[in-house]
Amino acid sequence: MRSRVLENESLKRAFREAYAARETAESGEKWESKTMRRIRQIGPLKPAAGFWPAFGSMVWRLAPVSCALVVVLTYFLLSMEPDVDSDYLGALAADMDKPNLVELFGVEG
Amino acid sequence: MQDEKVRSSDEEIVRQVLDGNVNAFEFVIQRYRILVMTIVKKHVPQDAVEETAQDVFVRAYRSLPTFKGTGGFSQWLSSIAVRTCHDYWRKAYRSREIPLSALTEKHTQWLEHAISRAPEVTPDATEPQKEAREVLDWALGKLSAGDRMVLELVYLEGLTVQEAAESLGWSKANVKVRSFRAKMKLEKILRRMMEQGGRER
Repeated sequence: MRSRVLENESLKRAFREAYAARETAESGEKWESKTMRRIRQIGPLKPAAGFWPAFGSMVWRLAPVSCALVVVLTYFLLSMEPDVDSDYLGALAADMDKPNLVELFGVEG
Repeated sequence: MQDEKVRSSDEEIVRQVLDGNVNAFEFVIQRYRILVMTIVKKHVPQDAVEETAQDVFVRAYRSLPTFKGTGGFSQWLSSIAVRTCHDYWRKAYRSREIPLSALTEKHTQWLEHAISRAPEVTPDATEPQKEAREVLDWALGKLSAGDRMVLELVYLEGLTVQEAAESLGWSKANVKVRSFRAKMKLEKILRRMMEQGGRER
């Protein structure tokens, strides 16, 4: 197997030294004043915290709790015995189906 | 104690700027100019250093409301500097402004010489660093902006995965994967360069 070029210690050292030895960039007063001019053009900063960012972060923070709540409630709903009221509602819904279909399609069963 | 004093005065300046005193940001520039320049000059070409360093401070100024104060101001600013350099390369690659200088036989010979030298032999001070830098710039220019940045931080600066991840704002896993792949790509580029140099001779 061929040895890796980049794992060669001499080459690694040569590259690191060359990389670190870049000329120092001189930055004087002119550079500073140019930078400050750009900053002044932006103007005073506005505070970051408004209603929407705070609301957004709260929604995401509550998202896992909401999901867990949905799962738990679904489980309880499915494991519950159907009671009299829901039977009654079911029968009512079934009864309401027929006239609706008749009205819509004009067919009788 | 001294660090605490410096940090508290940083926070004081940040508070003043956030209160609307734009001129207070001048202290930030004066205090951290050398730090930012040192980072920027390592990552971007010489002719782009000043403008990129300005971009770092402009970006830091705009992001000041998000500064939480944890980890210190210099660390926060360093991370902004690294990300700004990354953006510089992304823009440069997009507009295809990468100066790809042609390499000569001299560079191939330098690479072969550097590899064949025993690790315990210290190169003398007169050995040309110019070739090393040119080979490195040429090879890095063939990588993507992200690969280039991660390789510079991990391989050339010797930063840990954690440190590089914090600087780039990436996950540790991403840094590990990207640095490994980038290293493989660079390896291939250098190997091909040596093979071509050998064929031409």
